[in-house]
Amino acid sequence: MNRFLKATTKGLKQGLKTTWMLAKIIVPVYIGVWILQRTVIIEWVNLLFEPLMQYFGLPGEASIVLVLGNLVNIYAALGAMAAFKLTAVQITVLSVMLSFSHTLLIETAVTKKIGVSALLVVLTRLGLSGLCGLLTTILLN
Amino acid sequence: MPMFLEPLMGAALQVWKLAIVVIPLMAVLELSREYGLLNYFVKLTRPLTKLFKIQDESAFPLLVGLTFGLAFGAGVIIQSAHEGALNRRSLLLVTIFLACCHAVVEDTLIFAQVGANGWFLLSLRVVFALSTTLILSRILPQRAYDIAVRGDLNEAHCH
Repeated sequence: MNRFLKATTKGLKQGLKTTWMLAKIIVPVYIGVWILQRTVIIEWVNLLFEPLMQYFGLPGEASIVLVLGNLVNIYAALGAMAAFKLTAVQITVLSVMLSFSHTLLIETAVTKKIGVSALLVVLTRLGLSGLCGLLTTILLN
Repeated sequence: MPMFLEPLMGAALQVWKLAIVVIPLMAVLELSREYGLLNYFVKLTRPLTKLFKIQDESAFPLLVGLTFGLAFGAGVIIQSAHEGALNRRSLLLVTIFLACCHAVVEDTLIFAQVGANGWFLLSLRVVFALSTTLILSRILPQRAYDIAVRGDLNEAHCH
């Protein structure tokens, strides 16, 4: 029983720690994007990425979610995602894409430690991200 | 409500949504680690090793990576490789599969929590990670494994 309680407490503490970590990422990202949306910059982002993002049924600004997810982590992406008005299908498309490829800098370092070619891993992940993003867009619309 | 409160409330709501998933999940994961629950489930990933035609010893790293995430999975992979248990073919295919598909409980719950279709997401992720690894396992020539995997992890032990 003692062992059970100890492990539960340790797990809950770990959960709180993770929550604190993700709060420190989500709050500034959300506020940053919220401010960005009130500037002209978001229109430039929209114009620039609209041609690519339209294939995924997404507004150009959603590219910010993908960039944050791939360069920082899923939590940063979720912070930005919450600040945008997106439909359930758009959220699923972004989630599918991010589930295949996220936190690339750190996770690729991990796979390199195993000794596997970073290029092969990154190309596979980005390829599946794009392919399944398109597929989700087609299937759910 | 003053305007500056709006983004704070929005951010706080998102943190809350994730906290109520992450905190209990971490407790469950810690408990299963403490009691070595994964040892009972390793037969679940055995079929994957048969499918990819890789060594049986890959089943445990696959299971750890799928449940606990890439970092834990990699830890087990590196340990097995040091013990000389995994060859280059197993190392490459396990790593490719796990890079695309890891921490599936946590990721699926988190994305579902913010409004994604969790079942759809999970099935697509598993099916595509599986078929990609399967295809690679059939088309890559032996030479490719020698090029794409640095062998120092297990070779250090062969001598």
